[in-house]
Amino acid sequence: MIKTYYESGSLSTERQAVVIEFGNCYTKVGFAGEAGPRSIVPSEVRSLKDGRTRKVFDAVKADDQYNLLVEFIHNLYFRHLLVSPKDRRVVVVESVLCPTAIREMLAKVFFVHFEVSSLLFVPSHVVALSTLGVNTALVVDMGATETVVIPVCEGVAVLHAWQAQPLAAKAVEGQISDMLKEREKSDPLEAEGYNNLTEKIIEDIKVRACFVTTLERTQKAREGKPCPCPPSINYLVGPGSNKINISGDVRENAFNILFEQDADQISVSTMMLDAITKCPIDMRKPLAENILLIGGTSMAVGMKARIQEELNFLVSSPQYSEKLKLRTFKFHTPPAKENYTAWLGGAIYGATDIVSTRSLSKEAYLKDRKVPDWVSLIYNTLNEGVKRSV
Amino acid sequence: MAYLVRNDIVQYACTCGQLRPISFLYFCRHCLKLRCGYCVCHEVESHYCSNCLEILPSAEARLKKNRHVPKHIRKCQACFDCPNCLNTLAVRGTTVSVRDPEDPSKVNSQKKYYHACFFCRWTTRDVGLPDQAVQTVSANGWAQKNTSNLQRITVLLEHAKLLGMLERHEREQREKKFTTRFRRNFSHLPGLTAAHVRKRAGLPPELPAPSTIKVNLAEFQPAVAKDTVQELPSDIFTEELDISRVTTLAQRFAQPETQPENIEDLLPMYKHLSTKQSQRCRECEHNVSKPELNPSSIKFKIQQAAYFHVPEVRFVTIEPPIGGKPSEVVILFINPSQHPTTLSFITLQEAEDEMKQYHSEGSADTSVQQGEAPPSLSSLTKPVTVVEEQKPIDISLTGEVLLPAPDIEIILPPKDDAAEYDDSGETQQFHDDPKIVIHRRANKASLRFTVVPKTDFIGENCVIGFAFRYTYVNRISSPAISTSEQKPQKVQLCTRVFMNCGKILEGTQ
Repeated sequence: MIKTYYESGSLSTERQAVVIEFGNCYTKVGFAGEAGPRSIVPSEVRSLKDGRTRKVFDAVKADDQYNLLVEFIHNLYFRHLLVSPKDRRVVVVESVLCPTAIREMLAKVFFVHFEVSSLLFVPSHVVALSTLGVNTALVVDMGATETVVIPVCEGVAVLHAWQAQPLAAKAVEGQISDMLKEREKSDPLEAEGYNNLTEKIIEDIKVRACFVTTLERTQKAREGKPCPCPPSINYLVGPGSNKINISGDVRENAFNILFEQDADQISVSTMMLDAITKCPIDMRKPLAENILLIGGTSMAVGMKARIQEELNFLVSSPQYSEKLKLRTFKFHTPPAKENYTAWLGGAIYGATDIVSTRSLSKEAYLKDRKVPDWVSLIYNTLNEGVKRSV
Repeated sequence: MAYLVRNDIVQYACTCGQLRPISFLYFCRHCLKLRCGYCVCHEVESHYCSNCLEILPSAEARLKKNRHVPKHIRKCQACFDCPNCLNTLAVRGTTVSVRDPEDPSKVNSQKKYYHACFFCRWTTRDVGLPDQAVQTVSANGWAQKNTSNLQRITVLLEHAKLLGMLERHEREQREKKFTTRFRRNFSHLPGLTAAHVRKRAGLPPELPAPSTIKVNLAEFQPAVAKDTVQELPSDIFTEELDISRVTTLAQRFAQPETQPENIEDLLPMYKHLSTKQSQRCRECEHNVSKPELNPSSIKFKIQQAAYFHVPEVRFVTIEPPIGGKPSEVVILFINPSQHPTTLSFITLQEAEDEMKQYHSEGSADTSVQQGEAPPSLSSLTKPVTVVEEQKPIDISLTGEVLLPAPDIEIILPPKDDAAEYDDSGETQQFHDDPKIVIHRRANKASLRFTVVPKTDFIGENCVIGFAFRYTYVNRISSPAISTSEQKPQKVQLCTRVFMNCGKILEGTQ
């Protein structure tokens, strides 16, 4: 059968690439060149056999992981994007710290199962800057499980200065759950409500009731002179609408876990300062004056104000006053909500020529069955000859 | 039907190794193989609104962000989802009395419409949206309020495109020799403009001059960081919080661009469209299922479901399986096709060996077909078909089944719809072994098998597996055959079946 040159779709207008940012809790999907994602969906798959929902990135075995991803991405295409996956370009926004196994698995799912025409992995911290138009910034991604700080200078991630700690949404939710369990002991009447607390409910309490308090109030509390608590609220749990009481203490102090320095004296704010300290001295000032907060956790009420207070307090504290001579910290406001800023960066990249010149094509993947990766020296040397011979 | 076959008692092994009940399987009449939802290629056929069943051509659907915006004021109403509980909103009409502007003493009654949710009682009046004079609400009446972001993002997009062009220009300068050779290769193709040739060769479209790019780049203004951030509202420590007025994450993410935090900021959302999908066999690229375009039709243009082609297997009776003791199982075989079929039974091992042999022959074929096309031509030649490797079947057998000898053949007559109502009894004579075939009627036959559950799986389900060969009459004439012989082809196919006989009991002695 001979196809005419006009028949196949590639000759007519280029189809928009699909842009996906996979997250541990929520995945953002949409099309390149658009101002916002089509959908933000929980990274979960409902099993047909027993009706339970499973987190997509929770699987231990590779086989299981593959099946979960196939089902999840199928849903993304047919329920949210509403386009055929075949022969369409894909841009995946990922953290540079994403495990190689996951990247390889994603490439296999996209190329072998969904037969996409090309795949481009873009690093979330770097592409987030394209929502600002600047080249240098300290990018802080406060996600579901981890906060990752990576300074980006002139469009290049300064990898040796990266900081990552499990100080993010999950830590806050753990704190809320612990604090509520404490109360459960003292309040046997409401025990039924406390017993029904699921992960989803804890997340809901975090989003709707909690906020990030000021540094001043936290310091007073540490000194033993606590300010009056904010009013508590009643919250209804589960199908039985069991009432539980969320105290002002929980509302105010749950997010403090991110800022309490642990045994190694690490908190979200020290991570940012440590990242700056690890950079060359001439980069520090531009970084401190270009801070970009992304990720859903940074959307919490009062988070930015608190981070600014913390930074100002820490640079004058003995811990950093010798090392850093910075006095001003400036923050960027991207034209998007924080939780999809990195996605928007990918969507902007995906609308340019880069998607056609730098993507991994299907033919190239099927030849080697490998994804070029920055950690692998085969792809990461300047000498072209080495690459060819291997 | 759904009850009879939609459970996990009898499962067929698909060619790719997945286990599915027969109602979940397709049968590709060109490859003569079973296919399942996992190993076919899904494609979006059409978009439609699930509320008013209006079809939208896909290009239009994409422009409108897959949200339904009806173009004309017709019977179809604008469809919106409730931002509070995410169900569909309904239109409600009320009569409002309005004072006449010319004559204040007169009161006119006017028909007004608003949207209400019948599930959670949310209405557009709750968020202060004015009532509409017509049933259909124009989309721009409730436009999303983030136009300032949109303008900035457009500027950013342009900037990023220019940067990409500049980068490409520099690289093309470097590789000039290489690209000219490319262009020459395609100059012989008739009817292609220069732009098409570039695209064919895998090159992006022609670039503007670098000087203009640089001028445009200089106009761009990058974002400026500020040293003030959004402060924590000070009344948060004293004000009572009404948690029912704060939106949940699901409500926020339903409107990803605005993500309102207060109930008052929720706006009705255009209804998300649904799709009709077709399924295509990956090996031969023929459709195995293709729905009619009209969303109100539940019919198919093409529906190659396995239960139209492959004999169906059902349990009739089972003796309770006891560990180590043989028990009798009666299994019904039904021929769904318009031609008689002959059944014979083989073990799973034999069937697998047969498949392996077939597979090795098949893979040798494809490797030749792929060939070595020059990389520049790869987009011109037929794309390489990717077929996922087969997976091992994920089930453990906990019972042995004793099959009739492989040379015993059981003939099933064709399906005849009229025979269902024919009480006159058997007219055809089959020379069956009464020990195996215990009952026959029309296109069905009940066969007796013996199952021996394994003793070390007491308390678990007794799963047996076997394979059967059946003759299939292929009525599709492939172009190669149609010239030589027009007769339908008779082929012998094999399928593997796994059956669950229930919990294995402990012996009583």
